[in-house]
Amino acid sequence: MNKTALHCSLATLVVAMVVAPMAAADTLRAVPVDATGPFNDPEAAFWEEAPTVTVRLNPQQVTRPHHADIAVTELTVRAVNNGTWLGILIEWEDDTRDDWFLTDAFGDQVAVQFPVEGPASPMMGNPGGKVNILQWRAAFQRDLVDGEPDIRDLYPYALVDVYPDEVLRVTDARAFAGAMGVDNPVARPFESPVLEQMAEGWGSLTVKPMQHADGWGVWEDGTWRVAITRPANQVMPGDPDLSPGTDTLAAFAVWDGGNREVGGRKSWSSWIDLKVEE
Amino acid sequence: MSRVYNWQLGREMDYPFEGVRPEKQFAMIFDTNKCIACQTCTVACKTTWTSGRGQEQMLWNNVETKPYGYYPLGWDVNILDKHGVQEMDGPEYQGRTLFEAAPDGEIVLGYTPDDEDWAYPNIGEDDCTGSMEQGALLTMPHMQWMYYLPRICNHCTYPACLSACPRQSIYKRPEDGIVLLDQQRCRGYRECVKGCPYKKVMFNPVTRVSEKCIGCYPAIENNRQTQCTITCIGKIRLQGFISRPDEIREDNPMDYLIHGAKIGKPLYPQFGLEPNTFYIPPIHVPPQYLRQMFGWGVEDAIDTYKRASEDPQLLGAMLLFGATPEIIHHFKVEGRNVIGYDAKRAEVVRVPMREPIYMRVEYDSDLDVHRTNVT
Repeated sequence: MNKTALHCSLATLVVAMVVAPMAAADTLRAVPVDATGPFNDPEAAFWEEAPTVTVRLNPQQVTRPHHADIAVTELTVRAVNNGTWLGILIEWEDDTRDDWFLTDAFGDQVAVQFPVEGPASPMMGNPGGKVNILQWRAAFQRDLVDGEPDIRDLYPYALVDVYPDEVLRVTDARAFAGAMGVDNPVARPFESPVLEQMAEGWGSLTVKPMQHADGWGVWEDGTWRVAITRPANQVMPGDPDLSPGTDTLAAFAVWDGGNREVGGRKSWSSWIDLKVEE
Repeated sequence: MSRVYNWQLGREMDYPFEGVRPEKQFAMIFDTNKCIACQTCTVACKTTWTSGRGQEQMLWNNVETKPYGYYPLGWDVNILDKHGVQEMDGPEYQGRTLFEAAPDGEIVLGYTPDDEDWAYPNIGEDDCTGSMEQGALLTMPHMQWMYYLPRICNHCTYPACLSACPRQSIYKRPEDGIVLLDQQRCRGYRECVKGCPYKKVMFNPVTRVSEKCIGCYPAIENNRQTQCTITCIGKIRLQGFISRPDEIREDNPMDYLIHGAKIGKPLYPQFGLEPNTFYIPPIHVPPQYLRQMFGWGVEDAIDTYKRASEDPQLLGAMLLFGATPEIIHHFKVEGRNVIGYDAKRAEVVRVPMREPIYMRVEYDSDLDVHRTNVT
């Protein structure tokens, strides 16, 4: 990046931080519903009680790499709460269901982000401006349905004689298990397709040691419909306050795996106002 | 973007990070004239490091036949094609590096191979550049050619994988310059797979993160050369440390062969990564091809190599290849031997400059047999 580009990027960031809430869409109202949480069913009837908000998305172009040619430019969002749980339903058009990883195959994902501390940038926060990020990942949901793939699920004719974990003690075999052996959060199994994380700027995304979020997605007729839910009240330090009566913010990001969107190659929104109604 | 000095290009260039060189730099020299593509190195690496789940097809070390062998398929011609024709003539590179040629929004010019590209590690094996007329094999030199190119991670001074990673999951160790990918921090974005022009970062579809050659760092920390080096039956490799360009020592065999005798050439230096594996070019391949692959100076390198028998220092350094599992930091030709020393100048190996010849009588009277020279 040359200096001019760097200055442009910083300027974009500052402008986005200052004007984003004002430039955002309608307020997202998390309406109270008479239902039991967690709200992880995207096809539940109570979502109909919540008004929809259209969220515009732009390509991430503040830090490299960029992917100017993003696939998703608009989301439809609804929110509900029951005093204990907050639920968000996100819908977008996507012609292909991408829930598989190979060298050249990327998975569909969506994330919602809430501010935790300080005036935080909508772009994954900033140093001193912490955000809470709940990320739903299609491939990890597929694992929960079909089991985690082994090599013959990915390549039916793969030749295997013996794996270290079949002949060594567990502690000795860990060294041969790569990311799995060090409990990498994209390698190890989770009980939910939604990963709860925090960030203080790009490159700082960190999985929280205690996971409280949940969710589920359904792909049908070229549309993803994904529910993401988390406790409304602060359970742990670093949790966002989403209790009834709170006015806060939310921002969104989507990755279309079929368009090779991953990491910083994504579409994202500015902050929109989120009102958790009593 | 910083300005860093790339000695292989003889000029400064743009790089996303400050140009801090490690205390020592892992390096390797391959004599392509001696490689027979037996793949013992490949198997040694495979059995040592990539026997786990998701690594079934993964070869951190591979040997491919040039010009038609590639792992992954077409890796070098693909990036050369994207890079376009560049001006390359010493002593200063006039073309653009892959960092300087990066398109808008990218750190480095690269591409993501198709998954299937990794499925043919033996493609083009032993294929020549063309067929020969009947009887042409009897004339020399042959008009058709091929050679073997053994490859590992280059542990570049300016790694593209490292700079492309948005999470800084890849780091270069200050103590030995080995480039490692943090298996805990990586999120499997594959920017490194896209960015590395040598395609030596590989995606593990089971763990869903990327992996790469680790330079056998546990061996290196114990002053032992890499598995691929010490198992090489053709003794074509020497692994050690190359000094910083302003601290070259003529008694370090790596420095001597690369900076002194200048017979070890970097792989595609025009990419601008300052790779730290070096090749003695094949003597029978057209220089146009070799200049593209190893940069300027290949003709001189071949000329020097061919006259190694006249230069005791050069011959001595080359006799250290495959002579000991230990890393040689210093060497000296003394009388009829070349001696290799470790970092504390203790002798680790002594190789005769000329193989001793043992004469054996043709008739063994004890056993009453005639010994013939049959193998």
